Amino acid sequence: MPRLWFDKGTLLLKGEVGTPYGKWDPRSGCYRIKASHYRDAVDYFKESKIRYEDDVLNLPPLEQVKSNVELRTYQNKALDNWCRAGYRGVLVLPTAAGKTFIALKAIDFLKTQTLIIVPTLDLIDQWRKRVKECLGVEAGVVGGGENVVRMVTVSTYDSAYSQAPQLGNRFLFLVFDEVHHLASPGYMQIGEMYVAPYRMGLTATYERSDQRHALLPLLVGDPVYSINIEELTGKHLAPYTYEKVSVELTPDEQVTYHAQMSVFKNFLRERKIVLKSPSDFQQFIMTTGRDPRAREALLARNKALKVAVNSEVKLNLLAEKLEEYKNEKILIFTLYNDLVYSISRRFLIPAITYQTPREERREIFANFGSGKYKVVVTSQVLDEGVDVPDASVGLILGGTGSTREYVQRLGRLLRKKEGKTAKLVEIISKETVEVGISRRRHAKTGGGCIVAS
Amino acid sequence: MWKRKGEIQPRYAKLSPDNLKVAEFLIEAYKGHVGAKKKVLKALCADLENQGHEYRFVRALALLLGRRSTFVCNSKVNPVDLRRKIFEAAEKTGLPTTSMKRQRILEFVASEMGLATESVEEYLYADLDDELVLEKFNPPATVELLEQYNLSLTQTLLFDSTELSFTASGNWQRLFYSVKKLGLIYEVYRDSGFWVKIDGPVSLFKLTKRYGTSMAKLLPIIVANPEWTINAKILWKYTNEICNFKMESRKHGSLLKKANLQPVVYDSAPEQSFASQFQAVKSGWTLKREPEPVPAGNKVIVPDFSLERGGLNIYVEIVGFWTEDYLLRKAEKLKQVEAKMLLLVDEALACEKLTALEKRPQLYFVYYHDKIPLAPILRYLEQAFEEVKAKEVKFLESLSVRFTEPVVVYDEFAERIGVSREAVKAVLCVSPPSGYVAFPNLLVSKEKLSHIDTRIGDHLLKSGKLSLTEATRIIEAEGVSDASNVLATLGYKTCWRGINSEQAEVSKRSVA
Repeated sequence: MPRLWFDKGTLLLKGEVGTPYGKWDPRSGCYRIKASHYRDAVDYFKESKIRYEDDVLNLPPLEQVKSNVELRTYQNKALDNWCRAGYRGVLVLPTAAGKTFIALKAIDFLKTQTLIIVPTLDLIDQWRKRVKECLGVEAGVVGGGENVVRMVTVSTYDSAYSQAPQLGNRFLFLVFDEVHHLASPGYMQIGEMYVAPYRMGLTATYERSDQRHALLPLLVGDPVYSINIEELTGKHLAPYTYEKVSVELTPDEQVTYHAQMSVFKNFLRERKIVLKSPSDFQQFIMTTGRDPRAREALLARNKALKVAVNSEVKLNLLAEKLEEYKNEKILIFTLYNDLVYSISRRFLIPAITYQTPREERREIFANFGSGKYKVVVTSQVLDEGVDVPDASVGLILGGTGSTREYVQRLGRLLRKKEGKTAKLVEIISKETVEVGISRRRHAKTGGGCIVAS
Repeated sequence: MWKRKGEIQPRYAKLSPDNLKVAEFLIEAYKGHVGAKKKVLKALCADLENQGHEYRFVRALALLLGRRSTFVCNSKVNPVDLRRKIFEAAEKTGLPTTSMKRQRILEFVASEMGLATESVEEYLYADLDDELVLEKFNPPATVELLEQYNLSLTQTLLFDSTELSFTASGNWQRLFYSVKKLGLIYEVYRDSGFWVKIDGPVSLFKLTKRYGTSMAKLLPIIVANPEWTINAKILWKYTNEICNFKMESRKHGSLLKKANLQPVVYDSAPEQSFASQFQAVKSGWTLKREPEPVPAGNKVIVPDFSLERGGLNIYVEIVGFWTEDYLLRKAEKLKQVEAKMLLLVDEALACEKLTALEKRPQLYFVYYHDKIPLAPILRYLEQAFEEVKAKEVKFLESLSVRFTEPVVVYDEFAERIGVSREAVKAVLCVSPPSGYVAFPNLLVSKEKLSHIDTRIGDHLLKSGKLSLTEATRIIEAEGVSDASNVLATLGYKTCWRGINSEQAEVSKRSVA
């Protein structure tokens, strides 16, 4: 009888039979099939009335899942659409719209072995907590030094990718948190090396600037539900205002800024390089690897930007804002770790960067949540999905120009709380490139917010 | 890294005076900065870069030195605890938006923790990477640092490889073991050498760099051999083209660090006891650990041992304590083996699939229980050898060799023809070619013998007396060893007067 089994992230088929999904592998002397075609191959055998031996799955034991999740109307609609699409598909919902709960409800509905894949270790902790609270079972964890597989297991994209040869046949349901990551050239193999037929993708930002999101339907399923921030604002999320404050650099800073910037600009002019799009810029970065002068120019540009971002005037303005919002919960964002630490040192504010020990980070979040700490300063580590408890003011000092980052930083402030109006304040330097970055950042968010500038 | 016409090569750091100088500068800097902060070392590297040294080279060397360093957090209190106290104090009094308020908070916490205010500033973020202090540094030799750099450089390139082929002069067991452990798939083929081609399961469906990291892990094992060649396909990320990467021991061996691999330990008790028992008896066979792999179709078996005797090779594989799956695969492979192989199988593991293979002439099974029995093995070896010898004898007899040289040593002749010494001896001793007399180790022409006879006779005539030592010297001067047998054949007798050959006297046996 033909035998089908799992081999390091692929399926092997031995016997006097092939399938339309397999490919002859001369190295192993049998058919090899992409793991993601497991269901297709099985369907083919069944429809062709071929008897075969199925040794593919190696599932952890089922546990008693008891859900206490109550979904809101739009969440129910999202789940319905996903079920009707054959338990596959992507749900596009803004941050804080409760994506997690929809996924947990789906797990409760399927009651099957599930792997939840998330981008960061922080999110592992968060999901583990939620699984325990809402489903009443302990979650297994793969990643960050842990390696325990249980009925519901949480893993990082990194671990899910590198462990695919061992984990690919251990789950029937995959949940991809921040699913846009799955489209990257490496991670997309997670979609291909796991046999799970049921898949759900969650994201607030479906589109990628490199257009690779076009691959997602193949890996997870089509987008089956989408609701934008405007539809939720005021109803389920807090309304917010946005304010932009420009400051002038100090005379000294201006001198440095212009001196460094002109090194960069002169180089571009000399070489007739035009930087219009992010991909132009990437192209330029590549040349700096082999061209010392290009590298010099790049370093000069970075130095100029740093002066603009770290401007003394901004820190003084920050002091004013801290006074102004004395009784509010404030999150301060900035691009540079150096700046995070100089703010932390100067104002004695808890800081979170990639260097913050995990324990301390957890403690700071907990204290921020309980209101013990009212202000936290951070660089980009909070970019995705981490539940930061309801801040009411966001202060942005510098940042990159990507739309996604902005939307998600914004979303972080929008936890629903009675009678709350969130405020977002961006502090930028006048007459520098930073204005450009800020404009680009707004290009795609537009309408729903009440802009008071 | 340079790339030209589809070929790619890392820019290796030659062991040039310039590069050695940079390496030495950095090693000395690390040595001299034990007790200093990491950011000081970083600044030193930045200086080197500003002096025009390639920044990637400088940073990579620093990275390698960092792996030989221990950095510690230099604080009397746990900075996390200190920060907690500070932040809590700041929340209580309100955030310090002026430096006065700030100073007051610091002083308050300092006195509470029994520290100086400056220490609070110093320790507050003492656990940040830049603030860590170099505690210990284990300096490498300057050349070694560059060799390590070149090895890492090659490994970095291999991270982007989609497939890799190599030849190597040894370390086979370790190599195939690693290939398997890393989840790779190999194929072997022969052209001018024995090549192993490596990729992974998914490679069948698409070009993937997924296995690059694993291939990079094989590199140190391959280049630890005296001879090796590597061909790899590299997916160049910037242009998405496939480039060839080639390197070989002859050109690059001296640039790379050679891993100091521990010799393979005998992995099971039966193997160990077999090896020591076998070496204790004089069997005439040479036992070799980790021989070259035996091709079985496009797979290989890396046998535990090979036994060699007079050009005959028999591989030995000990099949002990394995899963059924393993045995089945082994049986599958053995079907295709061309070489002779002796399989020592634990009785408890004998299964139908394996016994079905007993019919194959090139395989021989010995079953054991607890301890591997030597007697049946030696019997088999003897028999195998006899069979080969018989074939060789036939072959030798079919050759009509005519010797022209006065002395034919069996060993040399056997080697020249490519048969065993035993076969040569069997043929030549039993029926020596005309004009020759056969001795246990060589043939001597009758002409040569009579020449020797004359010289010895002359000597005896002249001095009336001849010691065995002197006679041996005369015979050996004629290019003939085995003097005592020659003397006996020529009708001389030796009269011993003690154990010293000086005193043994040679005389012509009186002809009766």
